[in-house]
Amino acid sequence: MAIIEVSHVTKEFRLGELHSAKQSVFDAMARLRGRSARQRAPFKALDDVDFKVESGEVLGVIGHNGAGKSTLLKMLAGISKPTRGSIAVRGTIAPLIEVGAGLVDDLSGRENIYLNASILGLKRAAIARKFDEIVAFAELEEFIDTPIKRYSSGMKVKLGFAVATSIESEILIVDEVLAVGDLAFQRKCFDRMEDLIKRQGRTVLLVSHNIRQVERLCTRVLLLEHGKVINDGAPTDTCNLFYEISDKRIHETKLSAAAGSGRTATSGNAEVESVVMFDEHGNAVNEIGYLDDVEIRVGYRVLVNLPDPIFGIGIHTTDFLYLATSQSIGSLPTETLLPGHYVLSYKIRRFPFLPGVYSLRLGVALGGSFQPVLYSENALSFQVLGKDINRAVQTGYREGFVALDGDWELSAQDLDDATSGPGSRRDGVAYALDGSSSLSDKHDARR
Amino acid sequence: MITAIKNIIDYRELIAVLAWKNITVRYKQAYLGIGWAVLKPLTLMLVFTLVRSFVGIPSGNVPYPVLAFAALMPWIFFQESASEGVLSVVGNAALIRKIYFPREIFPITAMTTKLVELCINALILALLMWWFGMLPNGQVFWAPVIIIYTMLASLTIALAGAAINVYYRDVGAGLPTMLSLLMYASPVIYPLEMVKNKLLVQRAAGQWSDVLYTLYTLNPLAGIIESFQNVVLRGLPPDLTALMPGMILVAIALPLSYLFFKHAELYFADVI
Repeated sequence: MAIIEVSHVTKEFRLGELHSAKQSVFDAMARLRGRSARQRAPFKALDDVDFKVESGEVLGVIGHNGAGKSTLLKMLAGISKPTRGSIAVRGTIAPLIEVGAGLVDDLSGRENIYLNASILGLKRAAIARKFDEIVAFAELEEFIDTPIKRYSSGMKVKLGFAVATSIESEILIVDEVLAVGDLAFQRKCFDRMEDLIKRQGRTVLLVSHNIRQVERLCTRVLLLEHGKVINDGAPTDTCNLFYEISDKRIHETKLSAAAGSGRTATSGNAEVESVVMFDEHGNAVNEIGYLDDVEIRVGYRVLVNLPDPIFGIGIHTTDFLYLATSQSIGSLPTETLLPGHYVLSYKIRRFPFLPGVYSLRLGVALGGSFQPVLYSENALSFQVLGKDINRAVQTGYREGFVALDGDWELSAQDLDDATSGPGSRRDGVAYALDGSSSLSDKHDARR
Repeated sequence: MITAIKNIIDYRELIAVLAWKNITVRYKQAYLGIGWAVLKPLTLMLVFTLVRSFVGIPSGNVPYPVLAFAALMPWIFFQESASEGVLSVVGNAALIRKIYFPREIFPITAMTTKLVELCINALILALLMWWFGMLPNGQVFWAPVIIIYTMLASLTIALAGAAINVYYRDVGAGLPTMLSLLMYASPVIYPLEMVKNKLLVQRAAGQWSDVLYTLYTLNPLAGIIESFQNVVLRGLPPDLTALMPGMILVAIALPLSYLFFKHAELYFADVI
């Protein structure tokens, strides 16, 4: 039998529910008179969510801010109740919704351990037994009798985490708690989580924005979007889908904000009228496939005579890292442009950048003097969709912008002495040393 | 109701730890420490004694300061556990949003905290009695029962009040005022004997006297204070006629208050 069963759970919040007593009285009177009081449409934080978790499973829950992750966890922890549907949890549950909830500034570290562990449901005898372990994990031996208002924020978080993870329960609910403390402590937290999950075989629900972590720890991942489960399956697939949606969202905000951000300068002699991207079938698009052929068409309005203009088109990331720039020098006939409307076309074969969101930058300068006429960043934002590439596995998310067209090969090298494995590695080192010494030879020769 | 009692037993350690936290935090950086707990009844007792020297309140064969202190003890316990109980849920909003345990723990903890202060006041009362050369007799063993009844009466207000306070903070603001008014309708400054005399002996309100007296004793504190003074100071049994109307009221209202609280509890985390 499933240890957690969530069946058709819907959670609604009535927006602006906290109106004044006066309004409540008016509404109540309206209802008494048989009229319906004015009501706002409820906001669905969760919409018909349905899933089961088997014992020992590690379920990741990912999604954007406001997708309903925390609402879901709160309902599993019993903090809040579903509007419709039901939740069955068979087993003891330890919610780490936020570490350090309930720490009291005026109390010492020791007192806070007792207080916080009691709040989380640990019995007094059990706390006494685990006390030293908690203190050691939090690295607070020296300060344990100091009021925690004198602690640094990092120390408080360590204390909270150490107490929270000492709770013995069959189900562990973890909400964004791993990103605490300095790097060394984060490492320690992560190891502790991995220990709880992998070796102690507990059932875990993990909510995080750290997708890489979710992918590594979880056996199954739920993707929530606007309160709905839009995917429930293997970590890699779900995480990839999440990346895709993220990109789309960045792209959409980019589109709406495109006009405002980015550097734009013009001498007033020419202006951009339109920027459109076309796919290989000649349709105007904002999304293109990885390695598709595309055409960019820019409409210019020229106001004065422009002698021998040079056009440039570049591609940059959403954070203005310039990835590529092309200039029309030598590709277009040199002539003076008379005032009027022009359309510039630039065709790119096999668009090389990996899936993500990119923007165009445009420039026009006068030939010879290179005097700028017009410059615009963020002129058009577009998204590259990955067809079948598995980014998280093949390239890692955002670990680069282009894929290399290479082949891998690994083979053992035959050696004179019969030692095989470690010997070949030593051989590699020797080769590297050879390379560097030949460089210095050249150096000597030149002198 | 049975689950309520089971919850209290299951979570007794948590209640104890939270109450200990309340007390430690409140008095941690105060020089007088828990001494503050006795300051309020002591000063009120002195003020009442001073006022009495002008207006003349009969106190029977018990010295007035002791009588007043014995009235203030259950009264302050009731008033403070009720008003702090009402504020306790909203005051722990951070915990309510993050961790689940039965929410009635909060008003009960507020009351437990006050119970500790009551015990300290009991020591002061014992000192006062020793000073005035008074000794209690066997009836004093009724006192804990009366205190338990006081706890139930204050929970009746605290549970419903705390639940409403989550939605409308007016309750938390208004209740202390209401309760301090209730003090004048309770035999704190004057003994119940005076009211009895006026209504039941002198029949000051004519045919309405009996009704008025029942109405007066509908306030649980009337019976509580009178009985507490009886068993501790006068060596008499609890005054059942004064207790009965209030007891019936609490017996009806407490389950309703609890059910209302448990119903509202489902939405605390969403609204608070």
